[in-house]
Amino acid sequence: MSAGRGKGLLRWAVLLAGLALLVAFPLVRREDAYHQTVLFLIFLFAVMSGGWNIISGFTGYVSLGQSAFLGIGAYTVALVALHVHVSPLFLIPLGGLAAAASAAVLGAVVMRTRGHSFVIITIAFLFLMQTVALNWRSVTHGSNGITLPLPRWNTDLGNMPFYYVMLGLMVLSVALSGWIRRTKFGMGLIAIREDEDKAAVIGVRTSVYKVLAFVASAVLIGIAGGVYGYFLTFIDPRGMFDILMSVQIVLAALLGGRGTIWGPVLGAFLLVPMNEITNNYFGGSPGERLFVFGLLLGAVVLFLPRGVIPTIRGWIDRIREARRPAPAPHPSATAASRTAGPGAAAALEEGAPLLEVDGLIKRFGGVVAVDQCSLFVRRGSITGLIGPNGSGKTTLFNLVSGMSRADRGTVRFDSRSIDRSPAWDRAYLGIGRTFQITRLFKHMSVLENVVAPLGRFAWAQLGADAVSGPEARRAQELLEFVGMLPLADQPAGRLSFGQQKLVELAQVLMLEPQLILLDEPAGGINPTLIQRITELIRELNRQGVTFVVVEHNMPLVLNLCDPILVLARGRCIARGSPETIQGDPAVLDAYLGEGWGRVEERLEV
Amino acid sequence: MRQLIQTVALGLLAGGVYALMASGLTLIFGVMNIVNVAQGAFLILSALFTYELWTRLGLDPILSIAVTTPVMFLVGWVVYRLFVARIRHAPASMSVLLTFALAITLEGAMGLVWKNVYRSVTPRYFASSFHAGSLFFPRAQVFAFLTALVVLAILYVLLTRTWTGRAIRASSANPQGAQLVGVSIGSVAAMTFAVGVATAGAGGSLLSILYTFFPASHYQWISRLLGIVVLGGMGSLPGAVIGALMLGVAETVTATYISIRWAVVVFYLVILIVLLIRPQGLMGVRLREDVAL
Repeated sequence: MSAGRGKGLLRWAVLLAGLALLVAFPLVRREDAYHQTVLFLIFLFAVMSGGWNIISGFTGYVSLGQSAFLGIGAYTVALVALHVHVSPLFLIPLGGLAAAASAAVLGAVVMRTRGHSFVIITIAFLFLMQTVALNWRSVTHGSNGITLPLPRWNTDLGNMPFYYVMLGLMVLSVALSGWIRRTKFGMGLIAIREDEDKAAVIGVRTSVYKVLAFVASAVLIGIAGGVYGYFLTFIDPRGMFDILMSVQIVLAALLGGRGTIWGPVLGAFLLVPMNEITNNYFGGSPGERLFVFGLLLGAVVLFLPRGVIPTIRGWIDRIREARRPAPAPHPSATAASRTAGPGAAAALEEGAPLLEVDGLIKRFGGVVAVDQCSLFVRRGSITGLIGPNGSGKTTLFNLVSGMSRADRGTVRFDSRSIDRSPAWDRAYLGIGRTFQITRLFKHMSVLENVVAPLGRFAWAQLGADAVSGPEARRAQELLEFVGMLPLADQPAGRLSFGQQKLVELAQVLMLEPQLILLDEPAGGINPTLIQRITELIRELNRQGVTFVVVEHNMPLVLNLCDPILVLARGRCIARGSPETIQGDPAVLDAYLGEGWGRVEERLEV
Repeated sequence: MRQLIQTVALGLLAGGVYALMASGLTLIFGVMNIVNVAQGAFLILSALFTYELWTRLGLDPILSIAVTTPVMFLVGWVVYRLFVARIRHAPASMSVLLTFALAITLEGAMGLVWKNVYRSVTPRYFASSFHAGSLFFPRAQVFAFLTALVVLAILYVLLTRTWTGRAIRASSANPQGAQLVGVSIGSVAAMTFAVGVATAGAGGSLLSILYTFFPASHYQWISRLLGIVVLGGMGSLPGAVIGALMLGVAETVTATYISIRWAVVVFYLVILIVLLIRPQGLMGVRLREDVAL
């Protein structure tokens, strides 16, 4: 432990020494305007890449239009400065405000989309801003640009005020990233990057998280824009809304290591000097710079996609790993603690339907995956859901958990219609689910995976420590319950498939759910673990949790579940006790694929 | 009224050429799930080739399609084998960064070779027009439109009537299924990328007679193409054609009735609005994304 603390102290000492050097530089080398400017640009890029890193590194949404916020900040500050007689340096918070506001508006729009759409929109946004700045001449003076007054401070100071303000912004930027990374908010962002659907299912209100991340990524860039514009004393649309600036932002963050806290800073310290070298030694025509940066970006994407810091960290981890044997998994089952939520325990009245599905339809193009499906699940039951492959079991789970929307029909949970609720609201109500192929966040530790679920949404909670206090204790209890506590510090991706299934169960239990949808809990794992999972399900059920189990292992289903529902071609065709189902000719027909017409006639409700 | 008909007609003529240019982008996306941001740079590269053929050899820009298309096919194939093939399975965010890197590298290279000067190709028929009543149709536009239709028709036949074409469409619809019936996804992807870049070859030759261009124009072109493909539905060829015609008209109408300087904004706004309201576009299908691939 003391070694860890010593290392922490050492790190602080190094950081403070570095900062002291940067603070001292302009005082020591007063006349060295060139290197002061280079450092100023390094700070600027560190701020911008740090911002980019929040939305693209932590959250996984790559933006190629991040420099638009620099322009928005610069124009806002410059336009206000033309009308009030205050030094533009006092107006820079307005730049941040304008950038944050535009990020909030754009974010509310674009964060409904996924994947490629976001990149395209950010490019379009950048060019849209440039076109507006070019064409809205009455305000922006178009391509003539805006000239700002020269600084009125003593000329002996040179660019020192710019230097220190930007240095301060860089420190702020690192602090912001570090803080976000430690909080529940930051953990939610990482969860979104790793698996957005899964994040929503465990209660991360993804829409709010993404917009907030976008705003956080823009605000400091906007402030920096105000400083940068004043530093140049001239701004024009092409210089301020420059796609090449965006490229360099991305490049710096990628170089240093995206998703890390210091990556953007390191990247800026690498990129800006490279930029200077190209300018000084290769003529620095636009063509040359583009050529060099294009090649560099391509090379980083192809050969160093993780960036310098994570790559080096990976080496260190591998060396350490080689020295230390991995801990053996805990073989024995521990006694169950109280694991189910209070809601579940209180509501043990057998019989009332907890989940009701009525006339549900879901189409994928021409395929009708769920076709007028109606069924109900009684509170306190372990309901089996069987059916041949492609009969719509997983799609039904997706519709109930909110991962996809039905084309028609209703889902009621606890007598409440939840058709319009997003996945996280359903998690708050008490619906948890696991996946056929487990979907843990592979780069997070097992403990972090179990702490990640959120049983409710609160603004105050966003800033709370990610892994702390009562929640961490509860996560450890749950890990002990499923027998995975010894692996708590391992990255989830290293666990065996069966172990991942157990961790995913613990993760779902963190939501204190009333209903758990298990998608093939026994699929692809060894008999000992199957036995263990069966025991856990029984124990949780005794505590009041209702289960719906999709499973192909028939002995297990017949032994564990009552009643059993049979799904075929997207419809529920039979319901009954294990004995009835075993003897039902319709079920045999569904599995063997014979006499469809007859079956449907007989079972039409 | 006459002015409106005239405007719409010119918009449709432009839209036909846009359709050809956008076809490659949507084809590549459909098969490989990669947004080829370098498509605009390939267009400009082909336009510059056309310019060279015309100034040095006096080759007619429309005829030069017979040269630029195979040359760009080769360029596409090499670029695929050297770079794109390496990130076939990388996440979407990385592939778009790579094609973006390609775009600016090409822009830089073109700037070094051809300098940042505005150019255009002006063959003799350039200045004259066909007349129909009070309407006029510039010859260059009409020829370009017809050529685009012919190239698109050839592309259509290629995709529907040849084994390679069917393999491309199969890989687009269902990669695993295609692989199971013996389609080599790797070579199909190389072929698709090359064909996609080849359409930019034809498109670039047409561009050179219709518009002035210089290396950095590719941003403007990729914005246009993205707007078209997003509107039509990413990956849908019929969608790209419809989207191109619609936006061609919308652009000329804006240029005529509002201001030519705001015309390009149409494409940016379309991107924002379509992705917000109907992310799958006009002809795109929302597929299930929850099944492990």
